[in-house]
Amino acid sequence: MNGKLLIALPKGRVYDAALALLGRASIIIDATAQFSRALIFEDTAERYQFVALKPVDIPVYVESGVIDAGIVGSDILREADSDVNEPLDLQIGKCRLAVAGPDAKTVSYHQNIRVATKYPRTASKFFQGRNAHVHIVRLEGSVEIAPLLGLADVIVDLVETGRTLRENGMSIIEEVAGVSSKLIVNRTAMKMKAAAVNRLITDLDKVVYANS
Amino acid sequence: MQHNNTIGLPSGFRDILYDEAAARRKIESTFAGVFDGNGYHEIVPSGVEFLDVYARGNQSVKDLTFKFLDRDDNLLSLRADFTPAIARIVAAGALGDTMPHRLWYAGSVYRKADLHRGRFHEFRQIGAELIGKGSKEGDVEILTTALACLEAGGMHDVQLHINHAGIFRGLIGSLGLAGDGLKNIKTEIDHKDMRRVAARLERQGVDLKVREQLEVVCRCVGGREALVATSGVIHNDETREAIDTLLQISDALSKWSDRVIFDLTEIDEMEYYTGIMFAFFSPRLSSELGSGGRYDTLLQEYGRALPAVGFSFAVDGLAELL
Repeated sequence: MNGKLLIALPKGRVYDAALALLGRASIIIDATAQFSRALIFEDTAERYQFVALKPVDIPVYVESGVIDAGIVGSDILREADSDVNEPLDLQIGKCRLAVAGPDAKTVSYHQNIRVATKYPRTASKFFQGRNAHVHIVRLEGSVEIAPLLGLADVIVDLVETGRTLRENGMSIIEEVAGVSSKLIVNRTAMKMKAAAVNRLITDLDKVVYANS
Repeated sequence: MQHNNTIGLPSGFRDILYDEAAARRKIESTFAGVFDGNGYHEIVPSGVEFLDVYARGNQSVKDLTFKFLDRDDNLLSLRADFTPAIARIVAAGALGDTMPHRLWYAGSVYRKADLHRGRFHEFRQIGAELIGKGSKEGDVEILTTALACLEAGGMHDVQLHINHAGIFRGLIGSLGLAGDGLKNIKTEIDHKDMRRVAARLERQGVDLKVREQLEVVCRCVGGREALVATSGVIHNDETREAIDTLLQISDALSKWSDRVIFDLTEIDEMEYYTGIMFAFFSPRLSSELGSGGRYDTLLQEYGRALPAVGFSFAVDGLAELL
């Protein structure tokens, strides 16, 4: 538990934005570190250690405490329902989680509709809140194909530009939640490594909210 | 060598063998000696309860219990927590009327854990309860007993983080929130997202003075001096009174000041605790070692209103520190 903070970075959609944000806070991760085969790499000032992980795994690692902190989308965080601190909204990777369905069809939530999604927990909760009895079909990718192939009536998925939906003849029915990436911190690390954690939060807060 | 016809264990359970069993035994006998020396008596509550025992008061454990039916179709549960069992026993009058009761216990509790996060359904606890003593002296006695256990176990790097339920109860109570508004602000405080807390308070038009007090409390972590500094800006009576209690506890625990931290940032969302609440951490472990607090309203849920304060440790967490 001693030494530098170990921070998880999300591979994929938000990775570049996360690096850019850290860079603005003078936490520079150069290409040598990033593209070396080393699993764990450091910033140029050697203040922090980083590991790049699949986003869905980040809340698991941070909750367990083997990794102190991480950057992860609020969509994944809500779905994981992890017991971690979420001290800062980083305002990157912004998009929406939405219910979408085929353009031609009007869908009433009060039928026994089938919902395809990568977010079964979030979707269940949302439709419960609408008093709708739905059947969730959990998928891992290309969720937008499910209604076309007849596996589901609607989907609950991330929408960034809406292009994927349009290309598949679908549109948004309703927004479930706004999504952005958050800094999450292990509950024990927040206490036992308070000085380092607070410095990280302060440094990031300064650049994220520079204009407010 | 593996034999034919062997049988495994259900997932979420494990056997404790040799060294680990010895470590458990060592901790429990050390702690038992301290409890004994402080006038605490061992009790061994039943391993099975009516499920209803876990449904009273603001307990969060009920949904995690292992349930089954007896021959009369009563809904039963494996022991999921010691405190409700002790509340039941005390309220039934089984221990008599001479107060206070000083009790300690050691044993397993069973909760349905999320196995996909590497957790277990069964874990062993050791703890103590002081029932029928509502004063600050009671708080100090239980904290001193816990610290003496750690000392006897040679666990010198364990920190005690102390808080008081009245601190947020006072300030949040003065906001006049209810329903989702109340629930959301508690969640945001629990997440320690200070920008979001501030934004919500501003949106809801909360008095600037209350906002400033909340923000100071949400940052208050440290020794006696941190409490004094925070106390200086607090106008809310209940919050102030809670900080005064902590200051008195700080004086009483001055011998331990190198390992006692006052951390006002934690909120008890379930409102289970009524007074002090505390947790133990080691720099060598990434999870909490133990926790406790004062719960003066729980026993009346079992039929007898009595003040109570107690703690429990995770035995296997302690064993890792040996």
